[in-house]
Amino acid sequence: MIDLDRVSKSYEKGQPAIDKISLHVDRGEFVFVVGESGSGKSTLIKLLLKELEPSEGVITVNGHVLNTMNRRAIPKYRREVGVVFQDFRLLGDRNVYENVAFAQHVIEEPGRKIRKRVPETLELVDLAGKYKSLPRQLSGGEQQRVAVARAIVNQPEILLADEPTGNLDPKNSYEIMKLLEDINARGTTVLVVTHNKELVDMFQKRVITMRRGRIARDVEEGGYHEA
Amino acid sequence: MKPNSFFYTVRQGFKNIWRNRLFSVASIATMTACILIFGVFFSILMNVTHMIRTLEEEVGVTALFDEGLEEARMKEIGAEIKKIDHVTEVTFTSAEEAWKNFQEEYFDGNPEYAESFAADNPLANSASYTVQVDAIENQDAVVAAIEKLDGIRQVNQSAAATQTLIGFNRLFTYVSVVIIAVLLVVAVFLIANTVNVGISVRREEIAIMKLIGATDAFVRAPFIVEGILLGLIGAAIPLLLLFFSYDRLIGYLLAKFEILGSISKSLPSVYSIFASLLPVGLVLGIGIGLVGSLITVRRHLDV
Repeated sequence: MIDLDRVSKSYEKGQPAIDKISLHVDRGEFVFVVGESGSGKSTLIKLLLKELEPSEGVITVNGHVLNTMNRRAIPKYRREVGVVFQDFRLLGDRNVYENVAFAQHVIEEPGRKIRKRVPETLELVDLAGKYKSLPRQLSGGEQQRVAVARAIVNQPEILLADEPTGNLDPKNSYEIMKLLEDINARGTTVLVVTHNKELVDMFQKRVITMRRGRIARDVEEGGYHEA
Repeated sequence: MKPNSFFYTVRQGFKNIWRNRLFSVASIATMTACILIFGVFFSILMNVTHMIRTLEEEVGVTALFDEGLEEARMKEIGAEIKKIDHVTEVTFTSAEEAWKNFQEEYFDGNPEYAESFAADNPLANSASYTVQVDAIENQDAVVAAIEKLDGIRQVNQSAAATQTLIGFNRLFTYVSVVIIAVLLVVAVFLIANTVNVGISVRREEIAIMKLIGATDAFVRAPFIVEGILLGLIGAAIPLLLLFFSYDRLIGYLLAKFEILGSISKSLPSVYSIFASLLPVGLVLGIGIGLVGSLITVRRHLDV
């Protein structure tokens, strides 16, 4: 599903943010990417979203070679990839329903499909009762669940989560991770970048540890490991 | 674009205007001023053009014959004048008719004044041809051609007023073109600025849209719609204002410049003016909105 072949990304002169990484993630896998700040985790997410171009190497996601992808094909590719951020990135002037429906409008789904899909997805993240609330009226955990709903409403093949629990307390962090695990169980490939040692240890999934732009460790069903 | 997306885009366009209402009001106000001035100038030009056309129909060239010219020669001259380019109509007025017209015009109600002349026609040598020319610009050439004819004593042309009007019309056109051009540039700039503010405010939303998989066209469309709507509203307001105040405006101008009123009694109606002003005004408004938003979207919306 995700293949990186000797991928490097350098911003300017000096140490590359990502240094000749090779990596393979299978369809339906759940992967944690851990590592300290500046280890290249966020750059990896940006490369996978085609927000950044690699300086070297080849990235293939869901059959698309991102290096050679033409500009006009990017929107279509991104519809196959859902994304969740640490700071939620919800639209503050729209309620929960509208925030989730927004993702469907963006990919130009017909109205009747939106009216069906959005309530179903809100049900899935357990927010059906709060569909009229504005983001500021919700707790951090609830806001992140809206963000997850927005990321999955278009039924992506892959879900990328960049520090999804970074702004949450342990209870909400656990619930979000549980939600991501549920989504993975439904067949979506999930890649979670995180700092959260307890959660990584608790969930026992594949863990890729990054250090100075390289993969320092890659274990199946492992715990958090300071490389 | 699918129908659902079209309505979504239009709704977003309206929302953009509402979210940025201060700038939107400024754009609409400038646009209104621009189209209003355009409309006023346009109406005045249409009226002046109408007057010139009326004058062209009413004012003719009068050709007077040499004293004692025979009637047969007069008829020949009539036929020769008809052959001159740009001549549309030739009317003969005999000396008797001229005297009769004079009496009607100047002794109206006092026939006793005319009686002193008894059977004498003081205008015995006033038989003439009144010649209509197709356009006022061609009058000089026609006059020159008539003057060359044998048996013509004098050619009168009463075109001074028309020439003045044409001069006025030309000057007025130049001035209005300059003023309107300046206002158009200001309107385009203001709309571009308003749309730019909308883009700045929505940077986060645009970034999310792009990450979710919105196409460039989908991201841009609401801003283009916003510009078009601003232009449309900014054109509709002045056009409505003009529609309902046209008669008063023209009445005021005629009262101010009596010479205009004396030239033409019937002026074009508001409907005949709007038959061309309405489409031109709307196209201008929408065009300015479109150009303004396109400039900004191309320059500031990096999608």
